[in-house]
Amino acid sequence: MATASTHPLVELKNIWKVFAGVPVLKGIDLNLMPGEIHALLGGNGSGKSTTMKILSGVYTPERGNIMLNGKSVIFRSPHDAHRNGIYMVPQEPHIFPHLSVEENLLLGLEMDPFAARNEILQLADEIGFESKLSQEAGTLSIANQQLLEIIRGLLRKAQILILDEPTSALTFREVENLFNRMRTLSQRGIGIFFISHRLNEVLEISHRISILREGNIVLDAYTSEVDSEMLVRAMLPQDAELQQTQKHRRTTDSEASGEVVLAVTGLNSDTFQDVSFELRAGEVVGLAGLVGAGRTEVAEAIVGLDPNARGEVFIKGHAMKKHDPRESQARGLVYVPEDRHAHGIFLELPSLYTMTATILEKLGKYLLSFKQEAQIGTRYQQQLSIKMTSLRQLAGTLSGGNQQKVVLSKALASHPEVILLDEPTRGVDASARQDVYQLIQKLAKQGVGILLISSELEEIVDLSDRILVMYQGRIITEMSRSDATLQHVMAAAFGLQGEPSL
Amino acid sequence: MSRILRSRELLVFFLLVVLMLAVGLINPNFWQARSLMHILNSSLILLLVSIGEMFVILTRGIDVSVGAILGLSAVILGVALNAGVALPLAVLLALLVSVLAGMVNAVGITFLRVPPIIMTLGTLGVYRGLMLIITGGSWIETIPANIKFFANWHILGVRFFIWLTLVIVLLTTLALRKYKKARYFYAVGDNEEGARLMDIPVKKTLFAAYTLAGLFAGIAAVIFVAQIGFVPMQAGNGQELRAIAADVLGGVNLAGGVGSPLSAVVGAIFLTAVDSALVFLKVPGYWNNAVGGAILLAAVFLDYRVRRAVATQQRQARAAVRKESNHQENTHAPEKEQA
Repeated sequence: MATASTHPLVELKNIWKVFAGVPVLKGIDLNLMPGEIHALLGGNGSGKSTTMKILSGVYTPERGNIMLNGKSVIFRSPHDAHRNGIYMVPQEPHIFPHLSVEENLLLGLEMDPFAARNEILQLADEIGFESKLSQEAGTLSIANQQLLEIIRGLLRKAQILILDEPTSALTFREVENLFNRMRTLSQRGIGIFFISHRLNEVLEISHRISILREGNIVLDAYTSEVDSEMLVRAMLPQDAELQQTQKHRRTTDSEASGEVVLAVTGLNSDTFQDVSFELRAGEVVGLAGLVGAGRTEVAEAIVGLDPNARGEVFIKGHAMKKHDPRESQARGLVYVPEDRHAHGIFLELPSLYTMTATILEKLGKYLLSFKQEAQIGTRYQQQLSIKMTSLRQLAGTLSGGNQQKVVLSKALASHPEVILLDEPTRGVDASARQDVYQLIQKLAKQGVGILLISSELEEIVDLSDRILVMYQGRIITEMSRSDATLQHVMAAAFGLQGEPSL
Repeated sequence: MSRILRSRELLVFFLLVVLMLAVGLINPNFWQARSLMHILNSSLILLLVSIGEMFVILTRGIDVSVGAILGLSAVILGVALNAGVALPLAVLLALLVSVLAGMVNAVGITFLRVPPIIMTLGTLGVYRGLMLIITGGSWIETIPANIKFFANWHILGVRFFIWLTLVIVLLTTLALRKYKKARYFYAVGDNEEGARLMDIPVKKTLFAAYTLAGLFAGIAAVIFVAQIGFVPMQAGNGQELRAIAADVLGGVNLAGGVGSPLSAVVGAIFLTAVDSALVFLKVPGYWNNAVGGAILLAAVFLDYRVRRAVATQQRQARAAVRKESNHQENTHAPEKEQA
């Protein structure tokens, strides 16, 4: 480290944050030294982003202190944090796409434009930002948009930079560039919090690593003292947390030998490459990986929602012709999307309308048969034990679990033979979660092929016959049920190819 | 400011020249300086309203009450003059009313959080209603000649109001470029969340936009009264839609963040020139709206296609770079592990 100072730039002490009654941060202690590149690791929902949003003034904590230069401070807004020398570069840079680079940098800056211009040129030179100041910011590459954000922070005299997954949208060479910039900044004494999902990058660039799990700091160590195995182990749920999910583990190790209902060969798009796999009748295949690994994008491409996708998709041996969701459904494939509010449900309409939305043409010859529609609604209400006052209850007024069941009813109503389930238990309460697990197993027993996408490793490991792990847009590992342990799946999701001996 | 924007304004200017050449070939009278000046003179009202509307559209908003504000200000001016109020004072009063009317929109949109289209649709009705209530529904005629004098006052052979508008356009352009806070209009429309993070006063900026839209409609009202010499109850009717059309035609982006006073100028003159060209081509006047609308659609569609083609090209180029780089990464990674 460049500076010999022993006082941290900033110190978080016992930070608590509660969302809707659920504590997501449970007493975080974290500090950042001058010139330190401090990596934050953790699975999805571990609390990394929430912690950084508290530090950058987006959220205020329920309890705890932020100590800056020995004083306790509270940030009420991002601007508050800017004034105190803390600048966060979000994953998607907040630029003004139609303004020039220079205009982007000067906006909101209380500084003489001439002095500012000189400083911009100096900073741009120092961190190797090569675009013209008159260029329209929207035409910059993501890498340069990030550099623009960093310069913006430095113009505000930031001593602390927070980089939230800066490398996820960058090419190999751009990542190298960014790391060199980070080293330059570190030598100037600027402290950097660096959030990333890529272990090799973290080990390469950081001085110190902290790991969050379930809202706690579970590891805080110098990078020289750890290796990737230790990191993966620290991120895994502990034995005590595991026990409750084990009971769902399927006991019969049925070797699925049904016909191939879904075959994907050489599927490519902007966000993923060379995806190929087969799914058999009665088989549950888990698709694991971190958020942003490309899982949802693959599912959307399979169902025909990605106009840029190339490659072939066969449903029960038939190649797709038009390849749109309508054809997919007609051939027996349905997709249950991750974001049900945006893509899966009519919140302001009676629940029944969602349940029968895809099979309206089958209900009655010319005019809609209310009777048939209600029969179908009642059948699924009973089958999935959906709790609602009547079929006409507005979907938006149901609980998350029951909304998900309504969405599943819609998928099942067309009697599919292949179902792509994307995060089926997200925002679903514990008891409805059990119902969803049982439903998945029942459907598999009936011979439906299921592709299960989930960020919850336990879910994937317990329910799947076979597991595919995606990392940075590629399927990097396939494992059978007997090989699949949480450790293996987690290690693969973080891009570790070898078998960590845990 | 941006190359795309400039090319859009150029495109419309080019279309304007083509239109004038074509019409001039069929009817050479069109090319006389007198008729060109006439077009300019009749475009002033639309032009000013369009500049006001531009501020609102820059912030990604919309104001459909500017035509009604024009009418209301014109009525106030007419009534005040007929009541014997001195000319400068009457003009000031009319402008004050237009600013107030704009502020009412601004309060509703920024503080009461009413969506702009609903707020201004509401005040469109209110302001038109006020015109009728104040006048009892009858036209305001017999307006004193002192204000009409300005409409025919020539300076160096060019009408006073053309000079005045030119000065206003130059001042607005200069202010939008050089005055630091003026850039907030662009920032708020381009990325409202980003603007908030930069601590740009989003509400104040929106407030200013709707107030300015009112003020410009008021200035247009003064010219209206001077040029026409009476105030019919239809004054300003439909002007808001023509102003939006002029802005869009000139390159102001309805999605916010893009545009300049020059867009409004080019768009307004073009729409007026079309009206006038139809007269010279002896096309009945009731064709005006249809032809103007069709040209607007054609220009916007052409522009959209060009932009989309550019965007697709950029996207493909980026994907290609990424693919190549991923390939490198895959071939590099094993070496690294060995080392």
